[in-house]
Formats: sequence, C-alpha cells, structure tokens
Amino acid sequence: MSADTVNVRYMVGDVHQSVDWYVGHLGFSVQLNAAPAFASVERGALRLLLSGRAASAGRPMPDGKLPEPGGWNRFQFVVDDIAAEVERLRGEGVRFRNEILSGPGGSQILAEDPSGNLVEIFQPAAAFAPAR
Amino acid sequence: MTRTAPFVLALVLSFVVQSASAQDAPGEPMRIRYIVKDVPASVAFYTGQLGFRVLGQAGGSFAVLARGGLQLLLSPTVGPGGASRPMPDGRKPEPGGWTRMVIYTSNLQGDVERLRKAGVHFRNDIVIGLGGNEILLDDPSGNPVELFQPG
Repeated sequence: MSADTVNVRYMVGDVHQSVDWYVGHLGFSVQLNAAPAFASVERGALRLLLSGRAASAGRPMPDGKLPEPGGWNRFQFVVDDIAAEVERLRGEGVRFRNEILSGPGGSQILAEDPSGNLVEIFQPAAAFAPAR
Repeated sequence: MTRTAPFVLALVLSFVVQSASAQDAPGEPMRIRYIVKDVPASVAFYTGQLGFRVLGQAGGSFAVLARGGLQLLLSPTVGPGGASRPMPDGRKPEPGGWTRMVIYTSNLQGDVERLRKAGVHFRNDIVIGLGGNEILLDDPSGNPVELFQPG
C-alpha cells in the first residue's frame, strides 16, 4: 500500500451490489472481493472498504447499536464537467439527494449508492482548478 | 451568514488548492467531508489528537486539514458553504453515521491508551477481525474515526 493511499469505510447492505455500482458507475476497480462480507475497490489514491453485516466492521457495538449505511459523511469524486457527469449518471439510473449547488470553491451534488451512502460529485471552480 | 463569508471561503479554497498542488504533486489529494457541529473544536481535535495539520480555515464556516494523502473537509451544520444547505426535501446535513476514514497504525493498543487518557470517546473496544484489529472513536461531533492495525 502506498503511504498516500487513503482508506475510507462504507457500511453497505449488499456487498455484491455495491461493488457493481462503484465499478460500473464511478470507474473503481476491484482490489478484493470477499462478498457477501466484504470487498475493497480502488480508484486513484482512494481505497474504499465496503463492509456488510457479516464483516467484523458490521458487528454490533457493546451498547447494542448496529453499524448501518447512510449519514452525511462522504468522499469527493472530482470531475471536470459536473453537468455532463450528472447527466451520464442519471441516465444510468443513479439517484441524487439534491441538485447541483454552486459555491465559491466549486459545484457539488450528492449521489446515493445502492445502500443510501453519499458520494459527493465535485467540480472545482475554474479559478481554483490546479494547473495541469 | 454575512456578505463576506463567500469571499473568505474563496480565499481559503484558493490557498488550499495552491498548497495541495505544490506539496502533494504529482498525485492529487483524496478528499473526504465530515459534517461537524463546531469547526474550531473539530480542528483542535484532529490536529491535537490525530496528527492532522491545518491547510486552511475560514473561522467557524469551513476548514481543510491534511494527513498523508488525505484532506479532511470540515463543514458545519449551519453555514454559508454549499455542504451546509438543507436538501430539497428538507433533510439537513448532520454529523454521525458510520461512514469513516480509516487511520492505519502500527501500535493500536498504545494509541487507544493515549487517546483514552486524553478523554477521547470510543464506540467499542478493539475488535479482532480477519484482516487486522480495529476500533471506532468519536470526534467531538460524534463522527466516527477508525483506527486499524493490519494483522
């Protein structure tokens, strides 16, 4: 693992379905598939850990709380053309929680994976885009 | 929200992008966003307890921290930034849930002891899994952070 690899864990309802979603819609590649318990998929510097109920990360807490998908924390999926990306994803049946928002730093929209976890599609404002 | 807030945010973001492209080239940084109750308290926690450094901060409105290849965006539940706005159906962004960054460590037991002494709240005890050992702690807003030691 590269020192700069970033690991993020999402709880998911169905590991198979989640792997298909991240590979099919967002261009991830499968690193390890131990479905139905666990899978990891990679894209660039991100390793996304997809944990199902049967994974060690799916075990209940001592107070009985059960890990579950959802919430608002998310990774950013950076694109050059957010309108085109959203149109493509909508055409593929991807659900969104809101519409494109424009702020000083760029534009963003929240896509939902099949379990209801968020992915933030983000296009940096032209003034702030890193020189290439 | 004040009229100056977007301008301050723009300055912060400009700084962040410049520093990111200068320091982290050639790879682009990987960013995740956490929703927090209090940006300054969160900045103090992540820098003081978990080894993050501040790339930029717009007071209580927004902050960007970095650790290795990770940039952590901290957005408040109420503020001028886009990530703080309610959804069209009325739902409001809030901290919590189970989605988290995973911080690798070579001394999980030692880190847990140090953090417990510092008053950090843990959701569970160390779990022995197939790939290694892990534990979940809460940031000041109740967002989870996973510490993981490969087995």
